[in-house]
Amino acid sequence: KVNLCTVSLGVEGMTCGSCVQSIEQRIGSLPGVIHIKVSLEQKIATIIFDHSQQSPESLSEAVEDMGFESSLSESSTAT
Amino acid sequence: MPKHEFEVAMTCEGCSGAVTRVLNKLEGVTFEIDLPQKLVWIESDKDVEVLMQTLQKCGKEVKYNGTK
Repeated sequence: KVNLCTVSLGVEGMTCGSCVQSIEQRIGSLPGVIHIKVSLEQKIATIIFDHSQQSPESLSEAVEDMGFESSLSESSTAT
Repeated sequence: MPKHEFEVAMTCEGCSGAVTRVLNKLEGVTFEIDLPQKLVWIESDKDVEVLMQTLQKCGKEVKYNGTK
């Protein structure tokens, strides 16, 4: 059963479209990630994911692993 | 220690900043980054494969140019 959740992560250290693209591609290809949208202006990554495969913490870690600073700002459950 | 030269597809300071941070997390390396030339020099005893994988974490294309 798929348990969809939405999380917004604060991401620091992005300066251009290429940073955004690498995050979208890499995080977007993780198992359980359904959709990702990164905003350069707001420094936020909004991710829709399957809670049985990922958690806000694991996603935040994945972003940090790429060399960006990530913070859990808010998380909410979607239907 | 051998000095390895890598070509990393960095386009901005955010990219080189990300490379800096992932390399800082890896212990036992000293490195220099030349953003205009898209080159990263790493001085380390670690396997090239390990360094390669670390650089690839940034989600950028990485090419190994050999030791200098």
